[in-house]
Amino acid sequence: MDNKQPLADFYNPNVLINLGPAHPAMHGTLRVMCRINGEVIEDASCEIGYLHRAIEKLAEEKTYHQWMVYTDRLNYCSALINNIAYAMTVENVMGIKITDRCMWVRMIMMELSRIIDHLVCLAANILDAGAMTCFWLLFRWREEVYTMIESACGMRLTTTYARIGGMSYDIPEDFIPRLKKFCQEFPKALDEVDALLTGNRIWIDRTRGVGVLSRADAIAYGVTGPVARASGLDIDLRRDRPYYAYDKVKFDVAVGSNGDTYDRYLVRMEEMRQSTLILKQCIEKLPAGPIWVEDSRVKIPEKMDVYTKMEVLIHHFKIFMEGIDVPAGETFTCVEGGNGELGFYLVSRGGPKAWRMHVKSPSLMQFQAYEKMIKGDKIADAVATLGSVNIIAGELDR
Amino acid sequence: MGNAYSENAPFLHRQAVFASRLNYKYFQGGLSEGRKLEFDKLNEPVIWVRDSKDLITLIKMFQQDDACMIDYLSSLTAYDNKDKVDGPKRFVVVYNLFSTTTHVRVRLKLAVDDGEAAPTITHIWPAANWLEREVWDMFGIKFDGHPNLRRIMMDERFTGHPLRKEYPIKQREPFADNIPFHLGAQPLPKSEK
Repeated sequence: MDNKQPLADFYNPNVLINLGPAHPAMHGTLRVMCRINGEVIEDASCEIGYLHRAIEKLAEEKTYHQWMVYTDRLNYCSALINNIAYAMTVENVMGIKITDRCMWVRMIMMELSRIIDHLVCLAANILDAGAMTCFWLLFRWREEVYTMIESACGMRLTTTYARIGGMSYDIPEDFIPRLKKFCQEFPKALDEVDALLTGNRIWIDRTRGVGVLSRADAIAYGVTGPVARASGLDIDLRRDRPYYAYDKVKFDVAVGSNGDTYDRYLVRMEEMRQSTLILKQCIEKLPAGPIWVEDSRVKIPEKMDVYTKMEVLIHHFKIFMEGIDVPAGETFTCVEGGNGELGFYLVSRGGPKAWRMHVKSPSLMQFQAYEKMIKGDKIADAVATLGSVNIIAGELDR
Repeated sequence: MGNAYSENAPFLHRQAVFASRLNYKYFQGGLSEGRKLEFDKLNEPVIWVRDSKDLITLIKMFQQDDACMIDYLSSLTAYDNKDKVDGPKRFVVVYNLFSTTTHVRVRLKLAVDDGEAAPTITHIWPAANWLEREVWDMFGIKFDGHPNLRRIMMDERFTGHPLRKEYPIKQREPFADNIPFHLGAQPLPKSEK
């Protein structure tokens, strides 16, 4: 076990090559060590932890509200899904059922978030493969979604939009007209990308049969989300374990069959179309009414009342200085995130801080399967595969 | 009381059927000895297993049972039981299992003491590999039979286990250099033939 043996031996058929952790094609701080023979990867090993920020430890030190900002930094491509999933977890432990309007607003936000997550993944994947045009076509719409999110909560990337028991703000007046326009125009952009790529010989040659993950391996490695669906595993928590009002909207679950990069591209494209359909139904069904649940344990008082009424001011300070009192209990709440099953396992022993908060991140499972996916492929294929599984380092290392 | 799940969703029914199955199949007579059945805030079953052997037996049984058909490891983690609320042992290893066909969830809990090892389940689900490494890294719980039990988030030279309650949040251990070049469980490339 002599680790210090120099690897400069040029005639060695087993050369080690290091991909990452700081390389533009590695999408964050991911490191893969490959043993190559010629240009074929014979063995690969991933190393993680470069972006470990002790988020789970911080959950035990911060109050429930204070930790909300850390959920943004898990999967920063779809921060809203993280916010909402976390709020949902705490609400489940407290036994709070949020208002109807809040529910539908959260669904809108989660679907928008899923769209930008897929946009980032696809655009970056396509860019890695050398197609610049599609990148601009897709990122224009990501910009549009970010502008909408900014109008709703004042922030673009790290949103911190959800609150336990409600949302920080109701959506602004011009949000729904804007969303309608988006729902009409965005599928056209998808059609354009579709026309450019789906039948494109170069793209097909570059992606078909690359980074194959079989259905059995997807189950064994615990992979979920678009990657598992591309492998033919028909699972989507929005349909299978419906939360909020997902059983009241109609959508199809896109399932692939080959489990390669091309199928993952197709699944993501179809999912964005389905998300647009869900958004359209949400616009129709969005009810009026309060966004905050009437529960004095969690409801953040109106600013006007805080400034004019003594009791409300005290209550406001109690919520933010001491935190909310969550009863003892535990739950493992999962939602369908952009990358797959995003879960929060919360153990509460009472009081304003969590006893244990575990984040089940889909990226961790995918990166583990990635070692297996790239074996037998070329080095350039490893980059194409990495783009298609959309591993977010913030969620991977937590 | 309420939760985020849609009312009357079909999986809720299957979850209830499975819960009643648990009572008469897994907690009957002598079987229940050492096991404990609880329900969490979402009414999902939480089973405290008797010991390491019982854990593997239960997982194998759940895989066969047509009321749940557990085939998927959703997450594997642990928590510190320093305040002894959940029994006398120091740590609790938590297995969140899921089924891709019936969509039923079940949680298994195994209490282990400091220095005591939990059994590996990497032979059942390869997904457990990194998850068990993470638990070892964060809590210092060893897994018997794990193929490659190294630290995963922290540097290999790191001391202590950060998610233990006594570990101070601001205690840091910087390293000026990187760990040597290696390939996971096999530190060196295969020798030249």
